[in-house]
Amino acid sequence: MMLTASQFMFYFFALAIVIFSILTVTSQRILRAATYLLFVLISTAGIYFLLNYQFLAAVQITLYAGGIVVLIIFSILLTSHVGVKFDMVGWKKRLATGIAVAIGAILVITTILQYQFEASTEAARAVEMRWIGLSLLSYEKEGFVLPFEVISILLLASMIGAIIIARKEEKNESNN
Amino acid sequence: MQLENFLLMRHELLLLLLALLVLVFEIFTDDGKIHKIIPWITGLFVLVTFAGFLPQTEGVLFGGMFRITGMQIMMKNILNVGVAIILLQSAVWLKKPENSGKISEYYILLLSTLIGMNFMISSGDFLMFYLGLELATIPMAVLAAFDRYRNNSAEAGIKLILSSALSSGILLFGLSMLYGMTGSIYFDAINANINQSPLMALSLIFFFAGMGFKISLVPFHLWTADVYEGAPVSVTSYLSVVSKGAAVFIFSIILFTVFDKLSGYWINMVYALAILTMTVGNLFAIRQKNMKRFLAFSSIAQAGFILLGILNASEFGMTTIMYFVLVYIFSNLGAFGVVSAISYFTGKENMDDYDSLYKNNPKLSLLLTISLFSLAGIPPFAGFFGKFFLFMSAASQGYYWLVFIAVLNATISLYYYLLPVKAMFINKSETPLPVIKSDVYTRIALILCAVGIFGVGFYSPVYEWIYQLVLQFGI
Amino acid sequence: MIEGIPLHLILVVATVMFFTGIYGFLTRRNLITILMSIELILNSVNINFVAFNRYLYPQHLQGQFFSIFIIAIAACEAAVAIAIIINIYRRFTTINVEDVSEMKY
Repeated sequence: MMLTASQFMFYFFALAIVIFSILTVTSQRILRAATYLLFVLISTAGIYFLLNYQFLAAVQITLYAGGIVVLIIFSILLTSHVGVKFDMVGWKKRLATGIAVAIGAILVITTILQYQFEASTEAARAVEMRWIGLSLLSYEKEGFVLPFEVISILLLASMIGAIIIARKEEKNESNN
Repeated sequence: MQLENFLLMRHELLLLLLALLVLVFEIFTDDGKIHKIIPWITGLFVLVTFAGFLPQTEGVLFGGMFRITGMQIMMKNILNVGVAIILLQSAVWLKKPENSGKISEYYILLLSTLIGMNFMISSGDFLMFYLGLELATIPMAVLAAFDRYRNNSAEAGIKLILSSALSSGILLFGLSMLYGMTGSIYFDAINANINQSPLMALSLIFFFAGMGFKISLVPFHLWTADVYEGAPVSVTSYLSVVSKGAAVFIFSIILFTVFDKLSGYWINMVYALAILTMTVGNLFAIRQKNMKRFLAFSSIAQAGFILLGILNASEFGMTTIMYFVLVYIFSNLGAFGVVSAISYFTGKENMDDYDSLYKNNPKLSLLLTISLFSLAGIPPFAGFFGKFFLFMSAASQGYYWLVFIAVLNATISLYYYLLPVKAMFINKSETPLPVIKSDVYTRIALILCAVGIFGVGFYSPVYEWIYQLVLQFGI
Repeated sequence: MIEGIPLHLILVVATVMFFTGIYGFLTRRNLITILMSIELILNSVNINFVAFNRYLYPQHLQGQFFSIFIIAIAACEAAVAIAIIINIYRRFTTINVEDVSEMKY
């Protein structure tokens, strides 16, 4: 059996996602865990490219890989000693959690595999940037201007919140 | 889209305007004078609350993403009343010197969480629902971690944001499956395409687990007590009353209107969780000595009672839920108001410290007694009618065993709600707490709570009014 | 859609990732690694939405937009969580869960 190029790429990315996500939650060095997370996120962006969602893949790389992972790495450097192995919970708890999670995963996967998804019969449209932009600013059905505006409130509130929590303490506070 | 359509979003826009006003005020004021904003913002918010009751047309905006009906307006008004009382109660805490640099931020964060709850209640699709939920949660974590000089406040913040992030992850996994099966994120389209497959049941379970975290139903309640104890008192009362009320509202709307064809599945889940939540909440509440933790666990038990109303997927059930939340707001905020006043002026939070409170502070003890009686469901007070209607609505569907267990639990809760009352009036203490002179804001808030506890209970048109609005919504 | 790759395969990959994240959330003892587990969970949900959108309903954009908003909200969540974590580090000089927990049942 010969794999086509896109099939090969998919299997590559899927394998990378599975392996590196397991490494992310089992690695004992925190900076390595963050790096594995970065690999997972980039492989996900690869799958988006294969699915022909270029815009989403770009968002994934800039926001997730470039934004969140960098934020996480910064905070690791601020709060942890790089290279120190941190403690894990006892192996009994790990084993019990692992078994429970595996059972849950098998249950969900078998349920998904049993379900026959029906594809819509309407003609597909190529995902152009123009379509995405117009949908984002449309207030008709399938338009997303309201969530777009509401998330700006959320961004403002999170920014204010992050600043007041993380800024240096003032004099009258440290007296307490 | 015409300009007057924006009037349909009146609640959200007024709140947003208020938040922006605070922001502008912050820019143009010296650091030392920020506290002058407190009476202004509190007064303006009371005005906004009144404005919410003005008549308003119903409608659908943004292609179905935003729906507004009389029932949803009423829900938003109920939340507004709760927040108005909380703003009054938090004034004295905000004036403390360590909060001097953060007053305007407190208001902005609080208002943005309220905007999130309003959008969540009005949502017509799962994207707006999720956005509203997160807007109501992420700034809330900041509020919980607001006392930066206290260790357990920071702990409360991180526990709240991590557990809520996990719960929304679980919720979203269910929603993604739902999208795969129905091909839409809009409520009406999903409702039209729902099927009875095992995968549908699975996605319902995921949705249920995610919401269970937010309402702190029992297997998912572990974060609640620590967050409630660590957060500042006004934030705790906000979390346990307004935030929980908003989550219950949208939870029941979605169960009744989107998943109504799957009621065979979720009725059983609600049934089991109601029993668990009432019982476990009560058993933990009995053991608590700290008043804040005591109220936190008792509020878990109260969430179990609310589930009785969800079992009756009809206009009657919806009305009892809304009525109970309204009553619960007044009763719980009354109790929290007294506890926070005592904690603020004396620093005492344990039940033993309340011994002989009546001697020096008769008004506060009376009010706490009324609130606790109302929470316990003792007849003349509003809480009795709230619980009674919930039991009625479950009994009308034939769940007699569940009602029996609920009555048993109400009796147990009677015991522990009477413990502080006994401490205040009967227990003798060598050193009762000194006379507490509370400030004018707290007094207004407490008087409002007392009026609410009596008024909502005795003035029956309130219930009728809600019922008419729910009828118009149609379930 | 990718030629020769069934939809179910993508969903299985996403589900494995989701449960790996849950495992990490339950067993990790460092606040930042818990945050990483949550990012895994949200990312798996995104893959689900995008795959459904592409394979089943390619004439709409709903799944894709849902993913974009999830990514943006994940960024907000991470920013606020990290701010609180830094504050915790200042107070406790550690970010391990056991050392941070002052309150017990």
